[in-house]
Amino acid sequence: MTGLRLIQTIALNTVRDAVRSRVLYVLLFFSLVMIASSVTLAAFSYVERERIIQDIALSSIRFFGAAIAIFVGVGLIHREVERRTIYTILSKPVSRAQFLVGKYVGLVATLWMQLAIMAVGYFVICHFNGAQLDHRDAIAVGLIAVELSVVVAFATLFSSFATPFLAASYSIGLYMVGHLTRDLRSMGENSESELIGTLTLWLERLLPDLSAFNRVMEAIHDLPIPPVEAGAALLHGIGWTVAFLSIAAWTFERRDFR
Amino acid sequence: MTKLLFRAAIAMGFVGAIAIGQWNLSNQPLFGAEEGSRAPDPEVTKIAATGFDTIVSTWYWMKAVQFVGGEKSPTGLGDRVGDLIDVVTTLDPYVGHPYRFAAVWMKDDEQTVRHANRILRRGIEHHPDDWRNSFFLAFNHFFYLGENEVAADVLEPAMDMSNPPTYLPPLIARLRNQGGSLDAAAAFLNQVIEATPEGELRDAYIDSLLEIEAERRARFLDEARAEFVERHRRDIERVEELVEVSPPVLRELPPEPNGEGWELDDMNRIVSSHYRFRYEIKIDGTNRRLIDAFRARSEARRQLEMEEEGTSDDA
Repeated sequence: MTGLRLIQTIALNTVRDAVRSRVLYVLLFFSLVMIASSVTLAAFSYVERERIIQDIALSSIRFFGAAIAIFVGVGLIHREVERRTIYTILSKPVSRAQFLVGKYVGLVATLWMQLAIMAVGYFVICHFNGAQLDHRDAIAVGLIAVELSVVVAFATLFSSFATPFLAASYSIGLYMVGHLTRDLRSMGENSESELIGTLTLWLERLLPDLSAFNRVMEAIHDLPIPPVEAGAALLHGIGWTVAFLSIAAWTFERRDFR
Repeated sequence: MTKLLFRAAIAMGFVGAIAIGQWNLSNQPLFGAEEGSRAPDPEVTKIAATGFDTIVSTWYWMKAVQFVGGEKSPTGLGDRVGDLIDVVTTLDPYVGHPYRFAAVWMKDDEQTVRHANRILRRGIEHHPDDWRNSFFLAFNHFFYLGENEVAADVLEPAMDMSNPPTYLPPLIARLRNQGGSLDAAAAFLNQVIEATPEGELRDAYIDSLLEIEAERRARFLDEARAEFVERHRRDIERVEELVEVSPPVLRELPPEPNGEGWELDDMNRIVSSHYRFRYEIKIDGTNRRLIDAFRARSEARRQLEMEEEGTSDDA
């Protein structure tokens, strides 16, 4: 079996395993409920109801997408170790890196399927409530997909060396900081302390900028999304995914399962 | 059996406690004037939102709507509305209606109106093609703050925005006039006429220019009237008296630009018989009372703040 074929097999198994996860369905159910309830919540405002529907629905997709990515991602390796299936798999001619990448690809594929279901819910709700849909909504959903693959990558990294609880904590922390780096830098620039300015600047340079994937504002207000920025976000996502997976593979190679 | 009854009793106790709690909570007002209007610091909220800025902004927008539409009148609570809208527009500056909402509900006193103006300026910054925010800002400057020139300056760029109403140029000209310069009003309208193609709209602007000319001549008549009063120690009863009296104050009355005459209006002012009012933005009695009450509130707040400052200095 070639390396790619091995990864594909592990990924398919991961998808089969993931779709049996109850957490996944619970979160998916809540996300769909949230998307549907955006219509009710929008009734609290006497104006801009279409915008509110789009806002609540897209934010729900982002929130529940990230929640699924983190909570399912952190258990990725741990479940295999707990069930001791990892020994069987690794005794085959499969490298640890191939196993990890296979697991990652499987989870991302599962997440993208969930995202597709949520996106259909979003488009249906918007369509029946008169909210205008165009390419910006598609780009926003597409960039959520990229963001989720980065989130799964760092959740995989943390799950490669930490317990699920710790990995979830680290992942949530990084997700939050990743969305704040721009704001923190802007605050740092306005700060009188040079140290804070430098610190926030390096924080932005060294951490993934997850706000680059957040185009909800543009989608709901019909603002332009420059193709260069969308392209840069895509490259940013691919870059960080490769980086996180490489570190995860390196850590996983050195992990002692005894 | 006893065990089962015991468990059922405990379960019923819990259900009862929950039901009483829920009943009590559901009878409390959801967005009372005090509770519903509390808004956190916008910058802190932006950080706390961690990328979910738009939905947090929407949440505070809904709170603002519920607060204003609640049982208790929001009059006198404009600052609170302003704080909520500050959060809304800091987290999502591209919202549209909340800017105008702030303008409508923040009119308690000068400080509140200036706060609303800051919010409206943010709206103009993020919606450079929407004339409505400029209109509301200009209205606040003109109506509440009496800053007519500023109002005209704010409104002038709105003419180049998307689909501005056709009454904007004449309105700006009136504001310029009210700001003290009839020449500035005429120069502005001339500029607009030059840039407007032939048609009904251009004719309407030309008519506004005639109004300015009528105002200029009415002001000339005002001066003659003042001289009449000085000479005869009484006021005129008809405009024609200015030429009929011996010796006449004027050899002849200036022609009314539309070919009509001059008369005294209800307020005993000289007006063109064609327009029947002077070239200004009319503020009727109700609105005048509103402005007076607004100024009184502004003064009271200023006094209160000065007193508080004095107390804190003493402390």
